[in-house]
Parts: sequence; structure tokens; C-alpha cells
Amino acid sequence: MRLRLNALADSLDASTALRLTLVLLLLRPPGDLSLRGATWLLAAVALAVPWLTSARWVWYGLALAVIARLVLGWPLADNHIYLLAYWCLAIALALGTATPSTTLARASRWLVAATFTCAVIWKVLVAPDFLDARFFRITLVTDTRFSCIAQRVGGLSPEQLAGNREALAPLPAGVELLDGPVLVEPAALRALARALTWGGVLLEAMVAIAFLCPATWPPARLRHPSLLLFIVGTYAIAPVAGFGWLLAAMGLSLLGDDRTRLRLAYLAAYGAVLIFAETPVVDWLLGCYRG
Amino acid sequence: MSSRLAVALPSVALVVVACVQVALARTATLSPWKGGGFGMFASTDGLPFRAVRLFVSAPERSEEVLVPPSLDDLAARTATFPHDRALGRLARAVGDREARQGRAVDRVTVEVWRAAYTATLHAEWTKLTARTIAIDAAAAERPR
Repeated sequence: MRLRLNALADSLDASTALRLTLVLLLLRPPGDLSLRGATWLLAAVALAVPWLTSARWVWYGLALAVIARLVLGWPLADNHIYLLAYWCLAIALALGTATPSTTLARASRWLVAATFTCAVIWKVLVAPDFLDARFFRITLVTDTRFSCIAQRVGGLSPEQLAGNREALAPLPAGVELLDGPVLVEPAALRALARALTWGGVLLEAMVAIAFLCPATWPPARLRHPSLLLFIVGTYAIAPVAGFGWLLAAMGLSLLGDDRTRLRLAYLAAYGAVLIFAETPVVDWLLGCYRG
Repeated sequence: MSSRLAVALPSVALVVVACVQVALARTATLSPWKGGGFGMFASTDGLPFRAVRLFVSAPERSEEVLVPPSLDDLAARTATFPHDRALGRLARAVGDREARQGRAVDRVTVEVWRAAYTATLHAEWTKLTARTIAIDAAAAERPR
């Protein structure tokens, strides 16, 4: 078993991160038909023909396709599509240098650092309703993607969840309902909201600090553990698979030739996000899956 | 290509776009969730908590109309970033649709609202912005 794992790890080379990105582009293509066709064609050909995986023009083409996706979809594109555009551009630029793997690893480090720094700035300094746990108290009730965890961990019954959705429905300014629905917040739900708020922002801050620090500083040792924990922990709850896959591919690109276990860990994280997104395993584990 | 430039360019692009996004969200009502600033899962001010209201008026007609399915995408874009041009574009699209369907229309007003939650989770609709377009004038503005 160990030998097989070692053999698998040895087969993961510098181009694995590129291939995982191509798989992501195939799995989550743009909605626009012509852009989708161009993205699928470029990504599929680059995946099928090994020398094209590292062809600069392929990655410039893919970067252009993703940028076009952002422009056509403005302002509705999710943030990870922006990161995907920077990442495809970083790959294309790195492939034009004398040391593509090293250059891509450095670009990846700064992209991860910048992404998580922005996310922390939003949550801590800009958003008025995050640190007091208001965001997760509302989201756990109103966002159907969190229904299972709100019931199984937060202790809400399906009836209470439905009633809470009515209680949180906005009213016209100045209106108060006489016998309106009352918000029910069990202690477990409040604790869950606080845990998601502070756990999330502290983990993001840890990733940001670890990647901003020079590699010789102690916090830099947490780069891979914190990023892996973020990928597996976050995308089990928040189903934004594209973001998780992208971060796993970027994490993999950071590794040198001697980091066998970490390469396997990023590959496993990529697979875990795929399983979280495409199977009901999390709902099943929480006991919410109803076939 | 210099290695240093190849490393810096993508991250600089990310930071510049993120700074613009924060500025637009703070000053021009762009939703924190969108625009490349990584403000997702940070605020309740996302698309599910924004709403577009459309009002059509003409002689002997003044009423609110629902967003038709054919304009869902445009309405979502407008709600996410309700700047003047987006409001005008949606208003003209609504006016054109009304005219195509043979209904009288002189003016269209587009309003964008957001649900604001207090610390006690009491929610109220707050008007973010609005714009009224005179449909005849708008038709004259369109390139022929």
C-alpha cells in the first residue's frame, strides 16, 4: 500500500497542478455557449496531449476565455472566477520564463496570500455584519445550502427552520407585525454561528499570515496545513467546489520535488472537494440525506 | 519574460481589482459578494437580499410590474450593481417590452432595495437607489 502511494506521489510532477486546473475548467465551464465551447476545446486538448499541457499559448487562450467570462457576466461572476483568470495568466506567464515551476510556485504563493488577505479585510474591516455573527445567524436560516447543518448541528427542527425563514423575511420600513413569526435560536445554533464566524476568519487569517511571511519565518510552516484545512473544512460546508479545486491546484504547484506526502494531501483534498460537491456524502454523514 | 514580472503581474492585478471592488462596494452600492474583492460570505448584502421593483406609467396607467423572466438576468445584474447606466438599461428594456406588447408606457422607474438586518435580526427593506426613464426620450437616444 505504502509503495503504491509512493508511486502515486512520484507520478505527480510539476504539470499536475496544470492538469488539475484543466479538469476544473472542464468540470465548471462558463454558461455562455461559445465561451464554453472554446474553454472545453482548449482544456480537453491540453489534457489529452501532454506537450500541450505546458504550451504557453494554450494558457493565454484559457486566461482570455476566463477574462471574457468575467466581462460577459459582469458583475455576477463569483470571486473564484477572478482567481481562475489570474491563475491561468500566472501559468501562461510562468511558462515563458527560464524556470517555470519556481516562477509558478512564487506566483501561486502571492495569489493565495492576496486572496486570503482580501477575504480577511472584508470580514474584519469592511463588512458591518460579520464579526458580530449576524451574517452566519441569518445565513444558517435563509441559505438552503446550510439547512442540513442548521438542523443537525444547530438543533433546529424543520418546522422551526421554516418559521425562522418567515421571521427573517424583511418588512417595509417602519412596519411591525402584531402576531408575526418569532425567531427561534437554540443555544447550539448561536454557538454554531459564532464558531463559523470566528473559526472561519481565524483560519483565513492564518492562511494569509502564513503565505505573506517569508518562508524562513515560523508562521510559514503553517502554509500547507492551514491551506489544506481550509480547503477540506470550508468546502465540506460551503459548496463552492471550483474555489476548492483551484486552491488545491495552487497549493500543489507550491511544492518542490521532495514533498511527497503533501502532494498526496493536495490531491486528496482535490478529490474530497469533488466528493463533497458531487455526492451527498456530507448530508449523509450529518444524517440529512433522504435519497 | 522576466521571472519577477511573471510572479508580480497576476497578484498586482488581483490587488488592483480588489481595491476597486471595495471602493465600488463602499461608494457605489456594488454587492460585497461580487466584483473580485473576495467579500463573499462576509456580508448579508448579497443578491438574495436585494430586490428590483419596476413601475410603469402612462396616461391612465400607473402600476408596479413584476420582473419578466426574460429580464431576470438583467435585473440580477442591476440589483448587484445598481449604477445609473444599469438602471437606465433595465428601464429601457422594460419600456421596450411594454411597447412591444402594445401597452401604453411613457415612463419606467426602476428601484433597487436591500434587506438591512439590525443586531436583533429585525429586517427592513431599504431603498438603495432609483431611476426614472422617459421611454420616448430613451428611444431617441438609441443608435439607429
